[in-house]
Amino acid sequence: MPEVNWLAVLPEVALALGAAAVLLVEVQWKPRTIVLAGVAGWFVLMAVVFTVFQWIWAGDQAAAQDTGRLLAFSRMVAVDGMAIFGRLGLLVVLALSLAGAFELLQALGRRAAEAMAIALLATAGFSIMLSANNLVLVFLGLEVGSIALYVLAGMTRERKGADEAALKYFLLGSFASALFVYGVALLYAGTGQLEILGIREHLAANIVARPAVILIGLGLMLVGLGFKVSAAPFHTWAPDVYQGAPAGIVGYMAAVAKIAGFVTLARIFVSGLPEFQATWAPAMAVVSAISMLIGSVVALAQTDVRRMLAYSGIAHAGFAMTGIIAGETTGVLFYVVAYAIQLLGGFTVISAVSGPEGSGSDLSAYRGLWRRNPGLAAGFALLLFGMAGIPLTSGFVAKFGVFSEVWGTQPWLVVLGVLASVITLAFYLRITVIMYMEGEEGEAVPARPSTRWVVWVTVALTILWGVLPGSLLSVVADAFAL
Amino acid sequence: MLTALVLMPVVAALIVLAVPRRRHEIHLPLGVVLSLGPLALSGYLFWNFEPVAGMQFVVDVPWYEPWGLGWSLGIDGISMPMVVLTALLVPIALGASTSITKRTREFVVLTLLLEAGMLGAFVATDVFLFFVFFEAMLIPMYFIIGVWGSDRRIYAAFKFFLYTAFGSALMLAGIIALAVMHDTQTGAASFALADLANLELSTGAERLLFAAFAIAFAVKVPVFPLHTWLPDAHTEAPTAGSVLLAGVLLKLGTYGLMRFNLTLFPQATVDAVWILGALGVIGIVYGAAVAIVQPDLKRLVAYSSVSHLGFIVLGIFALTSASLQGAVIQNVNHGLTTGALFLLVGMIYDRRHTKAIAELGGLQKPAPMLAGFFLFMTFGSIGLPGLNGFVGEFLVVIGSFPTLPSLAVLAAIGVILAAVYLLWAYQRVFHGVPEGENVTMPDLSPREIGLLAPLVVLVLLIGLYPNVLLDRIGPSTEAVLDNVQEATGYEPPYPGRLVDVFMPGEG
Repeated sequence: MPEVNWLAVLPEVALALGAAAVLLVEVQWKPRTIVLAGVAGWFVLMAVVFTVFQWIWAGDQAAAQDTGRLLAFSRMVAVDGMAIFGRLGLLVVLALSLAGAFELLQALGRRAAEAMAIALLATAGFSIMLSANNLVLVFLGLEVGSIALYVLAGMTRERKGADEAALKYFLLGSFASALFVYGVALLYAGTGQLEILGIREHLAANIVARPAVILIGLGLMLVGLGFKVSAAPFHTWAPDVYQGAPAGIVGYMAAVAKIAGFVTLARIFVSGLPEFQATWAPAMAVVSAISMLIGSVVALAQTDVRRMLAYSGIAHAGFAMTGIIAGETTGVLFYVVAYAIQLLGGFTVISAVSGPEGSGSDLSAYRGLWRRNPGLAAGFALLLFGMAGIPLTSGFVAKFGVFSEVWGTQPWLVVLGVLASVITLAFYLRITVIMYMEGEEGEAVPARPSTRWVVWVTVALTILWGVLPGSLLSVVADAFAL
Repeated sequence: MLTALVLMPVVAALIVLAVPRRRHEIHLPLGVVLSLGPLALSGYLFWNFEPVAGMQFVVDVPWYEPWGLGWSLGIDGISMPMVVLTALLVPIALGASTSITKRTREFVVLTLLLEAGMLGAFVATDVFLFFVFFEAMLIPMYFIIGVWGSDRRIYAAFKFFLYTAFGSALMLAGIIALAVMHDTQTGAASFALADLANLELSTGAERLLFAAFAIAFAVKVPVFPLHTWLPDAHTEAPTAGSVLLAGVLLKLGTYGLMRFNLTLFPQATVDAVWILGALGVIGIVYGAAVAIVQPDLKRLVAYSSVSHLGFIVLGIFALTSASLQGAVIQNVNHGLTTGALFLLVGMIYDRRHTKAIAELGGLQKPAPMLAGFFLFMTFGSIGLPGLNGFVGEFLVVIGSFPTLPSLAVLAAIGVILAAVYLLWAYQRVFHGVPEGENVTMPDLSPREIGLLAPLVVLVLLIGLYPNVLLDRIGPSTEAVLDNVQEATGYEPPYPGRLVDVFMPGEG
């Protein structure tokens, strides 16, 4: 009987139970959406509480045994600072999305319970992926999360765009997952290990005479995860999915995929394969550079806010990746969490402007938004400045963090990065121009209190982490990796 | 003290924001009154400023220690005049903004936030903190131009933001490089200017970093050929925007060159004096030449800025104490005179709704006060002895003659060109017989006279008794020069020191 330490998986258990509970409550009582959201929210809260327990526990463990991680279930699960921090990010994003997409949930009617349950399951899947020490479990979590996201993308079947988005996402995503799992197999073939820790120990202790198999495996895993975080050249799905899926869901989808994808990238490459850094870092640098350039330049030509944010997300994937290239985790963790929050807030605004299910997010819909809804316009502008990396926002601290980490090894990437940032600034500014400097008249845009709250929370976090970077950075600094 | 100075405008902005939007008549007066607070504080700083080198009123609080970020503030003789100038121009610019009728609350809030950014940039002694203010202030200015500007405002705002952001992106890379080098050389993270100045840099690295910083500041100054954003931004901005842009924001470029390039990269500075000095002189002559042919009065004043700022750049890179002092004092002068000229152009525009020189004429008859102030500021700008411009330009030219004689001669020609374009513009606008609407143009109101009067007093004061500033500036510029001398073995040629110029044989 292997040791069983339930604490290691309690947050995921809570989320899975929550998914079941939401469905059962719906079947039994058919309550109003707000009640269902309350049930889901309660389980999310439980998951947060358990995660905090894990944090405290991991801290004690670090003090006592000097490892700072909890290995459980025959070393399948490793709870370390990185996993806990990423999980907290996922849970915050989930909670904010439930509130931000409330209007959409109401519009979904009876399917609201399904949507919530799927969102909870997706989070559970990505959450277990963050703390997986075994590559098979990583794959399992990745698939649970991804499949749930494919379903969410097609949740509003009535709209043509959503169907197309879901199918495209599903086909390309499955392909990427297949590549990833093949990479896992090759890595296993090369090292005889499936555990990330085991691979590291194996590679540290043995000299690999013929690394070709391992290198091909690495490449395939990079492609698979690169797809999930929408890094170029594996990004082609992103604009269509961002445009087609309901806005309330896109924010959640993109935010959790980025957090989970980047933490896993960091875990596999930084924690598992430091011996091969000289090989994978340049490859990743090329991916990062292509992402920055394609993302920022192509976004300039977009006339739809969602496609614009999709391309800017590609650029952000490139920026965040620079932290991993340096072999560090602090910068990239801060980056993805800060960006995920901004993205979520941004898509909450978009869903308010285009209506819960609508996808009419042409730039012209934002003309004169400052008059039609001053609060939303101001919030959106601040979030966009955050994404652009203007000082006093979390985006600036995030960029500064990853760029200063990578300067020592790949300075050219930093120069490219700051220039790409200026290009991204151009289209973020364009949205503010449209909101504030064009169009004096127009219909008022109503925003529910829950929407307003989500926007202001995300704005507040963006500013707080920008003005007092220590408030999040000191937490990240404790989020030691395996 | 300095923390309060920086935060006061932010608090003021929040207070204005708390006033409901429908009470639009009190936003502007409230903004003016609240912006007197930083002015009073900067006056206190001025009186209590010790005329010695080094930072004073130092504040040093860790911001995020593991990264070595610090809330480090301090002022010396180079930044102190700029702080006072900023605090003075903001209430004047706000007071001159009565023509802004839409979204006044937002306008006042953004102007106050802009003030916080400007003051913060001048008092920051931590490179990271400086960058934060330097970049963050773009946002209020961007909105001020883009929302309240004239016809082509969006284009101008966009161009302004992107040009500056492009320059500062390179500087950000440079700051990261410096911080990483500091970390590897000393094992400690720090962004403090004083720490970074002690780094050992290879010649190549120093030149690259110098270029990164210099381009960022050159865009801001603007140094030819990076100046093309300026005429658009100045012309399209509302009066308050133009005044603050010309009076303060441009000075961040010259201030940055002096504070960062000269201190951090002394060897590269000495190597680059000819390049930047020449660009400065090209700016002087080119700006003046283009100003002569401008059909738009505001654009003319904008190009005169390019020309005047060229003097400051030349003064900085001539690397003598006279030229450096001249550069600092010219920073102030240009803010006073060009700020006033933009105010006056704005007042003409408020009355006549045109800035085209061809449509104006003979304004002296209906508006003698306006004409008088305009002529006075024109003389200040040209450098008539007894007014402030003379002191600055004289020091720059006399200070750059020992090191860059040919450039100094060319710069002196620029002084003549300034007289050509400004006096000719004055003649076309104010002399002659007024026709059409020009006949009935009202003269200045007491409010407008009140706004201009402090500028007139300062123009006279600096012109007649420059020591009020020079005493305070001198030790700091000497320190900058000493630093360059120590680091590179560069000897300012005789008579490079001020004491050699005015008291030969005693120094």
